[in-house]
Amino acid sequence: MQHETAEIVRAPIDVAALAAGLRRGEDGAVVVFEGIVRNGSGGCPTLYLEYEGYEAMALEQMRAIAGEARARWPIDRVAIVHRLGRLEIGETSIAIVVTSAHRAPAFDACRHAIDRVKKSVAIWKKEYFADGAVWVEGEVMQK
Amino acid sequence: MRVRVLFFGRVKEIVGRAEETADVEDGADLGSLFRSYARRFPQLAEMERSTVLARNQKIASHSEFLADGDEVAFLPPVSGGMKHRAARNRRNRAGAD
Repeated sequence: MQHETAEIVRAPIDVAALAAGLRRGEDGAVVVFEGIVRNGSGGCPTLYLEYEGYEAMALEQMRAIAGEARARWPIDRVAIVHRLGRLEIGETSIAIVVTSAHRAPAFDACRHAIDRVKKSVAIWKKEYFADGAVWVEGEVMQK
Repeated sequence: MRVRVLFFGRVKEIVGRAEETADVEDGADLGSLFRSYARRFPQLAEMERSTVLARNQKIASHSEFLADGDEVAFLPPVSGGMKHRAARNRRNRAGAD
């Protein structure tokens, strides 16, 4: 397992296995963030989400974010795994795992990584409702 | 010269395809390529400020020149933070693509 891992998958993410594979004897903390598909962001029930990505670019951006986190905080390993395709309510669309000797930098690096992924990685999601569907467009993509 | 153009998200639905090959004049820049699509697809013109362009998988400005064989991508806004309201107002029919 390398210090920085970025992956795009289409099958369910096994977060426990991912975290177990990263931890080492010198680590004192493992912080795991999972982004999961929420039912309804405002009244109308969501049926499911579809994620699509510009995979070559997204992977490169995810690797850069992992590298950025390791450059900025004294952490051990970072893994960012994003799932594409159709996801049902409650399923994990993204997992970020950060290991480190101490918990504070692991929390900070993990928070930073997910915020950066949401704003600057070439992945889009479409939310499906009983009566239609909408691309969730929040912010102009950042570098 | 020829470039490959990729479309994602709402842009893909407006254009009606995921990718195509485009013939461009020597000396053309990304902005002129975008404008040629905006003329074909008026909805795209409205998205000029929110659509980011990438050249060979790197975000690039409209003034960057194209080279033969380039891969250009039109990247609409990503989900970002919690600002879902704007997109919600544009809800369209499911299966439009």
